Formats: sequence, C-alpha cells, structure tokens
Amino acid sequence: MQILRKTGLKGLEKAKRLGSRGVIRLLKEKKITGRGGAGFPTWKKWKMALNAQADIKYVICNADEGESGTIKDRFILMNNPEAVIEGIMIASYVLNAKESFIYLRGEYSYLKKPLEKVIRKLKVNIRIILGAGAYICGEETAILESIEGKRPHVREKPPYPVEKGLYGKPTLINNVETLADVAIALAFDDYNPELKLFSVAGNVTKPGVYELHSNIKLYDLINMAKPKKKIKAVYFGCFGGCIPYTDIELTTENVCRMGALLGSGTIIAVDESHSIVDVATNIAKFYEFESCGKCTPCREGTNRILELLERISVGKGKLEDIKTIEDIALVMRDTAGCGLGRSASNHILTALKFFRQEFEERVK
Amino acid sequence: MRIKVDGKDFEVKPDENLLVNLNNLGFNIPSLCYMPGLKPEARCRMCVVEVNNKLITSCSHYPKEGMEVFTDSERVRRARKINAELLLAEHKDSCSQEHELCKIIDELALRETRFEPLKDYKLDLGEAIIRNNNLCINCGRCVQVCTNIQSVNAISFAFRGHEEHVTPVFEKDLSEVACTFCGQCLISCPVGAIKEREHLNEVLKALKDKKKHVVIQTAPSIRASLGEEFGLPPGTLVKGKMVAALRRCGFDKVFDTDLGADLTIMEEATELLERIKNNGPFPMFTSCCPAWVKFVEHFYHQLIPNLSTCKSPHEMLGTLIKKYYAKLNGLKDVIVVSAMPCTAKKFEAARKELKKMVDFVLTTREIARLIKYLKIDFVNLPDEDFDPALGISTGAGAIFGATGGVMEAALRTAYEIATGKKLTKIEFDQLRGLNGIKEGSIIINGKEIRFAAVSGLANTRELLKRMNKYHFIEVMACPGGCIAGGGQPLPKTKERIEKRMRALYEEDAKLPLRKSHENPIIKKLYDEFLEKPLSRKSEELLHTRYKKRED
Repeated sequence: MQILRKTGLKGLEKAKRLGSRGVIRLLKEKKITGRGGAGFPTWKKWKMALNAQADIKYVICNADEGESGTIKDRFILMNNPEAVIEGIMIASYVLNAKESFIYLRGEYSYLKKPLEKVIRKLKVNIRIILGAGAYICGEETAILESIEGKRPHVREKPPYPVEKGLYGKPTLINNVETLADVAIALAFDDYNPELKLFSVAGNVTKPGVYELHSNIKLYDLINMAKPKKKIKAVYFGCFGGCIPYTDIELTTENVCRMGALLGSGTIIAVDESHSIVDVATNIAKFYEFESCGKCTPCREGTNRILELLERISVGKGKLEDIKTIEDIALVMRDTAGCGLGRSASNHILTALKFFRQEFEERVK
Repeated sequence: MRIKVDGKDFEVKPDENLLVNLNNLGFNIPSLCYMPGLKPEARCRMCVVEVNNKLITSCSHYPKEGMEVFTDSERVRRARKINAELLLAEHKDSCSQEHELCKIIDELALRETRFEPLKDYKLDLGEAIIRNNNLCINCGRCVQVCTNIQSVNAISFAFRGHEEHVTPVFEKDLSEVACTFCGQCLISCPVGAIKEREHLNEVLKALKDKKKHVVIQTAPSIRASLGEEFGLPPGTLVKGKMVAALRRCGFDKVFDTDLGADLTIMEEATELLERIKNNGPFPMFTSCCPAWVKFVEHFYHQLIPNLSTCKSPHEMLGTLIKKYYAKLNGLKDVIVVSAMPCTAKKFEAARKELKKMVDFVLTTREIARLIKYLKIDFVNLPDEDFDPALGISTGAGAIFGATGGVMEAALRTAYEIATGKKLTKIEFDQLRGLNGIKEGSIIINGKEIRFAAVSGLANTRELLKRMNKYHFIEVMACPGGCIAGGGQPLPKTKERIEKRMRALYEEDAKLPLRKSHENPIIKKLYDEFLEKPLSRKSEELLHTRYKKRED
C-alpha cells in the first residue's frame, strides 16, 4: 500500500531543499487534497497559512476520527505513524510553526503511548491532546476550542483557522491521511494521488481499510468485502447519507450528484435483511447524542427527528410525521452552524429520497 | 458601500454587520441571540438571510460590495418558521406573551407547534433571581453578559445536544454560587426565563392589614423609567404620577429615597475627608451598589477595608423610618417597602446584619404590575408630591441613578464641607455620560483628590488593576448605573438608557436644592437625632460591615 511506505525523513529533507514556497508548489503539482472529508486542496490551505501575518503559528493534526464506520486514520496511526509525524514536521517547517499538536480521538487513547514513542524517536516536540469523546471535536474550530480548554463549540467562520485559529493565531489543521500523503508525496517521486483509502463496514464479511483507485466502482469494492446477502443500500458514514446499491464510480462528483456525500471514503453496506427505517432511527440516535447543542436547528432538530423516527419505527407514526421530518431536515441543512449540523440530516433526506416507501409502509 | 436587498439598492455601513444594517434600513429581521457590542455567537439562527443561494446568519456576516441579499424569500421564511417552531416547542411553561420570542412568533403567523415539550428542569430559586430552564431557548445572552460584561461567570452552558442548558456550576442554585444578583442576565433574556423573586404577594398582604403602617420609598432612577411600563416614551419623568399611584395602592406614606441618598452623601463625604486626614485606606469605594458589594466579598475580599461602611441609601432611610419616624409618630407595626431598579437590593434587604430595616424590595416592573393589578389608570393620574417630613430632597440624590452620580454628589459636599467655600460650577462633566470608566480630579485644601466612576463589573476589574492611582472610586455593577439596572422595564436598549439618564440630570438641574448638605431636613435630622456625620449614633444606624464569602 502506498500509504504504508516508509518515508524515513526523506520527505522532510526534500522540503528543506525546496523551501516553503517550493513545498506548496509541489503539493499543487501532486494534486493533494484534504482527506478529512471536505476535499479542499491542501496547497491552498498551506498557502493561506503561510501568507497569514503573525508572530506565532500552530500546526494541528486532526486525529479525531469520529465518523461512524471510519477507521482509516487509526489504520495509518497504527501502521505508519512515522509518515504522519513527518507530515507534521514538514508543515511546521513550512510555516515556521511555534508548536504542533496531534488532537487524538478519546477512544483511541491506546494509541497515545506508541505515538509518543515515535515522537521521541524522531526527536520532535509534538503535543498529543486527547479528546474527551465528542463527535463535534472532529470539526476543526471545535478542536481549537477544546485545546484551549473550553467547551468544544464550533466557531463562526470566517475567520478561518488559517487566519485566526488557536489562541487567535494562524493555525493549519490537516487530517491524518493528508499529512501522511504530504510526507509520502515529498519522499517519493512516483507518488500517486489517485490512490485513496476506503473504510468498509456494515453487512460484509471482510470489513476494513482498502487502498483503491479513486474511480473504483461500487460493485467491485463491495464484492472485495464479500457480502453474504444481497446489498440494497450503502451509507457514506452517517453524515454522507445513503444511495441505493448501484454500480457507480466512487468519485466525489458522482456521489454528490445522487444527493449524498462521499466524505472521507467510508462505505457502510446495508443488506436486504435490514429496514432503512431502523437504520435511520439508529443514525438519528447517534446525532441526537452527538449534537453539541449550540445552535437551534441541530440541537432541537436532531432531537425531534429522533422522536418522530422512534414513533414511526414502532408503528405509531402518521403520514404527516414524514413530512415534518423532511421540513426539519431541510432547515437543518440550510441553517445549522457547522458541518455536523448541516449534514446531520443528510441520512434522512437521502433515505426518504430513495426508500420513502419503507417509511410509508411503516406508518400504515 | 452599496448592496442590493430584495432587488433594491441600498447604502450600508461596512463596519456594521448585516443584521444591524438591514434593521437600520427598515427591514424586519428577527433575532434572539444577538446583542449589540458582543461577539455574535449565531446560536438561534433566526436572523438568516439568503445570499448567493445560501442561507447565512446576518448577525455574523458583514456586507460586501455588490452583495445581493434576500430577506424574505420562501426559503428564508421556512427556515425561520421551523426554527421558531422548534424553539416554541420547548417554551410552554406559563409564558407571559410579552417577550421577544412571542413577538417573532406573531410575525411568522406561527399559531401552534407540532411538538410536545420534553424538558423538565427544576427551578433555580436564587435569593433574588429565579431561573426557569423550561422556558429557556439556549440563546446564550445571559451567559455572554455574565461572562463578558460582568466577568462574574456565575452561569454557563453545561451538557450537550438537547440536554445543553444554562446552569451555575454543578447544577447548584444561584444562591449557592458567586452570583452578584445584578440582574443583567434577566434584562438580557428574550423569553422571560429569568425573573426577579417576586414579593408582590407579601406586599399586598401587608397593604390589606389594617394594623400595619406600610411605607414605601422610591429610588431616584425609577421616576425616569416607570412610565415606559405604561406606554410613555422612555425618559418621561413620572414622579408625580408615581406618587399618586402608590398612594392609591394603599401605602400609608410615600417617601423619596433621595433623602437616604443625601444622608449617604453626608456620611460618605465625611468618611472620605476622614480618610484624607488619616491617609487612607485608599482608594475608598462607594458601597451603595449591593451587587458591587457582593462582588467584593466574593472576588476581592482584601478590599473590604476600602469599601465605605455606609449603608446604601434605601437602607439608611429604612433605618430612619423604623428608628426615628416610627417613634416620632408613635407607630408600632411599620413595614418598609423599597421600590428599586434593582434585583440585588432584594438580596441586600435580606442580609442578616441589616436587621430587616427594609422589609420588601419591589423592582420597577413589580411596581408597574402592582399598579396594573389594582386597575389604577396611571397615565391619567394627577401629579402628587411625596409625603413631607421625610419627604423633601435636594437634587443631589436624584443623579444617584446614573453612573457617576454618587461621586458627583459626594464631591460637591466633600468640597464644601472641607473648604468652607462654595463650588463655582457644580456639574462634574467628566463624570457624566455612558462611558464605562470616567475619571477626574479636584483640589481640596491644596491636596489633589483623584476620582473615578466605573460601571459594569468587567470594566471594574480593569480599573482595579490601576486603582492605586485614585482616592475615591464609585462602582455601579450595571453598565450605565441603576437606570440600566436588573429591575428596570424590558427590553433593555441603549436608547432607553440614554433617555433615562438625560431625564435624571434634567431633574437635578431643575431642583432648587442641589447639594446634600444644604438639605434642611438633613440639617434637622443631624441636629435632633444623629448629632453629626460619623457620630456614634450615625455609625450605629447608618453604617454596616461586610464579610468574606467563600464560593
């Protein structure tokens, strides 16, 4: 696997030869994009952080991998932590950063010691901050609040973290996979940006992390993971929503065209033995639990959607309830304050788009 | 800068956010969480407008050249309606129908919500302030005010998602934490989830009891704000109508707390002169604001010796009513009620060391409710005068209601007592206006006395960092002073506060007696009863002590 190639500080050496501007040019040439889910061009983010005028700058590695079914960052941190840390070192070099952090998901606390060992081995100064188990802390501005010791409420953007981040200073926040990609792309001339990681979960017998070409067809991917029964839908984590099982190339654009979001490449397969109503109720429970509570549509909306779905799933719902769910879901997507809130209704909007019949049957 | 709003061109201010700009242009953009002067948190999502096919919160976005804004598209209206419906669902407990959320709900023609309330919180029964989380819509204004304007941090958000709510630490009551009861949270709340602890029933009961002689005294700042509760324009002085209304409520006597204010000035000015003679301790702080006093006891107890030992004006007058007026008139069962712009005064009146010299404190809003409850036609009442004897006052007491006023009144008296000369100009312009911190100096007998007046507790913390520069500091916990107190009519706006302030200074300028020490009643009181300022009798009746609070 490309992501497991050992860079041995060759990336950092090359970065020092190229200089800050040279590294950013190379990232642009190699077409590296953020792997956290939004797919923002990495060179653009780095350039903004480099151009920001400030005495102090920070670098943060976002290792708060909280999306349901997503395990790719854990896979990298367990199997090639050196590349991630080298990526952080390169970013710190490019920005001349004062301090750098790894914001590690609370549930991954067992990775803290091994990571610290690597940090010591590479003789760098990187602080590992453990999250406390909140999904919202994967959102970059919530990470900032959390590191500052506050409630992890998202900040209003703009200003973006690259302008005003940790303690008000320009801060570069990148995902684990992105930083590993940076180190590998710098270390090896034959780096292939088309390869990416997919986390596969759900009703398959071989779940796990797959490194595949980004235009892999959905059928091929699912067949590799060997499902037992016929698959009827796939979910892209919780926040990406679902599509019916169709043979499309798994590009961001294709998935988006169907009304869902590919995000960080998580595929949860759902076979015919499961009702989408039950899946939706389960996901709604997740969002109700994980909403941070700051803004109205997400705080109240996730709660009301769960209430209605629970009613429907036990056969006590009414046809109007489906309409009410849709009303709330659309307003959540329109007005919620952060990515979590805006996408927390994707799952139900797409489920109602493709599997409305299942909901209507349940209320009859 | 020009932008397009709903298809028409408008000139906007680039340094004001979209919400303020649009509302200034006459568009009616609803908002529940935004407060001028504070960083927008964009919690409520009611102020959304459509720009570039996206909904954005107008409170947290600024206009850009050529921007095209839609304020009332179908999508905007749907978003506002659903968000309001979600909020309304959790706001059903004994709603008073007078606050900002209800106004918005009316405008959106939202007659019902499809949801049942799910929240079930216990009431937070603070000694002076009650919080009902079952009415709260998590807009966060109270938390912002308590944290950023007052730097008290008595309340904050806890838990997450639907369970997120405002609470003092560890779900305690406000009484159990370092809350000053300033009530700024209360007057910031757009849904009436925070209220004063009411004493109307107790007062009504006392009024009905024929054996009791019930006296009411009214604070200086109320006459400039009470009218608002009856639809009169802000800043209307309603002293005469107020006295008439209170008399019709059944109070046996209606006294002016201005007299207590004059007494406070006499005592405080003398105390200042004593300290000048004895070289300290400096700076001396005023003690008439009970929220400030509690703030010192919690956070700065090392400054307790610097606090003036004077009771606050209404407590001084209460003491005189019970100890002097009652005896003089052969009255046994006297009840003293104070009409105050303040919630912290409720806490003050219950302090043990003050021995219930004031039985009940009613806020401006409670006074208005009492008058309305008794069906008194306030607006058409004739003007009446305060009761005499303890009922004549100078103007110096009136400006107590505005920040800087106590200091100004005390300086007038201190100067003239110490020097024996008349002040040529009695207005201290450097102490007027709504600035958070105001300062100046005066030469008394060749010595320069430096003074400052500060309002708002976060401003106070700032001033305390350089307090050694000063001899005398006036502190009012509420930004703007008592005219913006926690007991004043809602909603709080800067315009209302400015108009109330102007009205108080106008009254001061109109009155013939403008220095406390020239008040004949004060002279008489000292001659016949108290001897002189800081006499043993005065110390016993008019001064108090403070204690360190561990919270």
